[in-house]
Amino acid sequence: MSKIIGAVEIGTSKAKALVGEVTENGSLSIVGMASRPNEGMRKGEIVDFRKAADAVHASLEEAEKMSGTTVDSVYLAQTGIHLRGQMLTGSASVSSSENRVSVSDLDRASAEAKHRQPESGRSYVHHIRTPIVLDGKAVDDPVGMLGKKVDLGYWSVDGDDQAIRQALCVITNYAGLEVADLILSSIASSTMMAGPDLRRAGALVIDLGAGVTDLSLYRQGYVAYTGVIPVGGDHVTGDLSMGLRVLEPYAEKLKIEHGKASPDPSDADEDIWIIGNKTIGDRSISRKAISDVIHVRVVELFEIISKELGNLLDPDELKGGILLTGGGSKLPGIEVVASKVLGMPVRKATFTPGIDSELATHENATVLGLLHYGLEDNGRPPGQNNDDESPSGFLGKLAGIVGIS
Amino acid sequence: MRKNIKKEKTFGSGWKKLAPKSSRRPASRAALRKRLSSVARILFFMFLLGSMGYGVWWIDKLARSDSGPIDLTGPAIPISGVSFHSDGVLSENWFDNWFGPLRGRSLMELDIDEIQEALLAEDQICFARVSRAFPDTLRIEIKERHPILVLRLGAKTGEVQDWLVSPDGTLYQGAGYPRSALSLLPSLSVDSSLLRPKKEGKGYERLEGIPTVAPLLDLVRREYPAIYRDWQVVSYERPNATDPGAHVRVRSGRVRNLRFSPGKFGVQMRRLHYLLLEPDVRKSPVIESIDLSHGRSVFAKI
Repeated sequence: MSKIIGAVEIGTSKAKALVGEVTENGSLSIVGMASRPNEGMRKGEIVDFRKAADAVHASLEEAEKMSGTTVDSVYLAQTGIHLRGQMLTGSASVSSSENRVSVSDLDRASAEAKHRQPESGRSYVHHIRTPIVLDGKAVDDPVGMLGKKVDLGYWSVDGDDQAIRQALCVITNYAGLEVADLILSSIASSTMMAGPDLRRAGALVIDLGAGVTDLSLYRQGYVAYTGVIPVGGDHVTGDLSMGLRVLEPYAEKLKIEHGKASPDPSDADEDIWIIGNKTIGDRSISRKAISDVIHVRVVELFEIISKELGNLLDPDELKGGILLTGGGSKLPGIEVVASKVLGMPVRKATFTPGIDSELATHENATVLGLLHYGLEDNGRPPGQNNDDESPSGFLGKLAGIVGIS
Repeated sequence: MRKNIKKEKTFGSGWKKLAPKSSRRPASRAALRKRLSSVARILFFMFLLGSMGYGVWWIDKLARSDSGPIDLTGPAIPISGVSFHSDGVLSENWFDNWFGPLRGRSLMELDIDEIQEALLAEDQICFARVSRAFPDTLRIEIKERHPILVLRLGAKTGEVQDWLVSPDGTLYQGAGYPRSALSLLPSLSVDSSLLRPKKEGKGYERLEGIPTVAPLLDLVRREYPAIYRDWQVVSYERPNATDPGAHVRVRSGRVRNLRFSPGKFGVQMRRLHYLLLEPDVRKSPVIESIDLSHGRSVFAKI
């Protein structure tokens, strides 16, 4: 029996909802999708609950209508500057007399790593295991191997309780909809854009959103760092609005239709006409001026990223390169600017094969990544234990028919 | 081990504890619509369950209930009386004695078809109709056989039993007749071979030949009552009227032996009446015999 899963991204500019159907053989079909402009967010955090709820609920409703079904729980993307990541590590001596690593050794190391609690008023959102190290050497599965000491770590991200609670409330307010899991936006988008090979080679995925920029850095196939930079596409729009003295809607339109990440000498001769209203009237703006304003902000953004990552930006450890995704990555020439600032090859990410071309846009990377997690959770082969078994028995089936479960 | 990108289950102070236990008032129209839709579905589900439960209960009740007639008349009222109508001598008292007490019984408790069959089993009754006159009256309508002859039989115990004979030949021990009325009836004398006991129950099968005799007795009783009162014993030979030699024999006080042929009793009675008015006959108080069975010729022995 197929299972319906949902994914919601409460973005700074848009709220997106996807409805997917996980079939018995473990494949995922996207059966509903909708997005609505969101005016209730600033820099990845909810500042107006009602407006955010309006946008999220309307997109959920439309996605459900498109799919012809209802969603009971969703995977929710979590971003915002309140999120902080840290590495939690633990170690254990191999207890066996033969010095063979057992599951209990790993459990002890894991317990030590998880021992540390977050600060008051904060809660863990996401834990990602890092490589297991046996006597200083990274291994995939050390159970049964000979050794003396096992080291194990988690990249753990915690967030502000209030900010997390606000996001959860937006979802549960939709007639008791449940949140199946919280997923970091950066992890969700990078899962879609960087395949296993790239992650093993080492890669940095930069998701340029409207309010914030999410970072996720992989080494040897494992997450080594995640972060959120409080600068996004909206800042570029704001700069254009202030610098060119145009209203934000016009600035946004200029950015999307005529913006470039770095000025081109030929732009100096080109003027862009803004068809204004009766108050401001029509006026022309030099394309070079637009590019200059954007360039300054983009350079600043990548300088912040460079400073944030510091030594992690090691070309030897990031052989997969730097990938740009998110709505901001559509800005022409941005990869060139990024490459100059970060001192490493940067390219725009492409989706892994098998995703419909209409869906495979950079703006959808995060929400598609959420469904990918949903597939991991629900698309287990038959025979394995599944916590979310479909309702059994006559009453369960009857409840399913009328949509109560 | 799980894939390296796979999210570990939350440990320590996880976000799940922050999830609100119950949702607040809907914050958007879409949420309100969704909640109303959910409530409607739950109500529909409950209605469906209730309907199924009621259906099961109803079927169970139907299966357990008695398959007899369904009482649609409401609470039963005890029978207050019997409306009894008969064209004969039987009365309501007879019915009360025959049926037994009705006290406390309601109309619907009585099987009127069974009562009707029981009444028809009585040889004195040739028609019966039993019906309910709601709310509390039992209606009985019957028609009786009337006797034209009396058959006196001696039982093995030495007791003598009088059986009444109806025009159709039915033999019955009548009830409700006044003794004076029965004393006027002529007696019947038949060969014992013609009496055949019933296979089931008491009494005898219908007598053959009586339907042949009955018109004579009826004629005499109506038109010649003086002669009828004098008739004492009636008998007949060969019950089938078409048999050669078939005749009816009557013994009376005035004429010791009267003989009629079966049929054309009116002509024969007119001849007898005429003959009895003849001066020579009138002189004789007792006449030995008159034979009217030879058509126009009458043989009299004075």
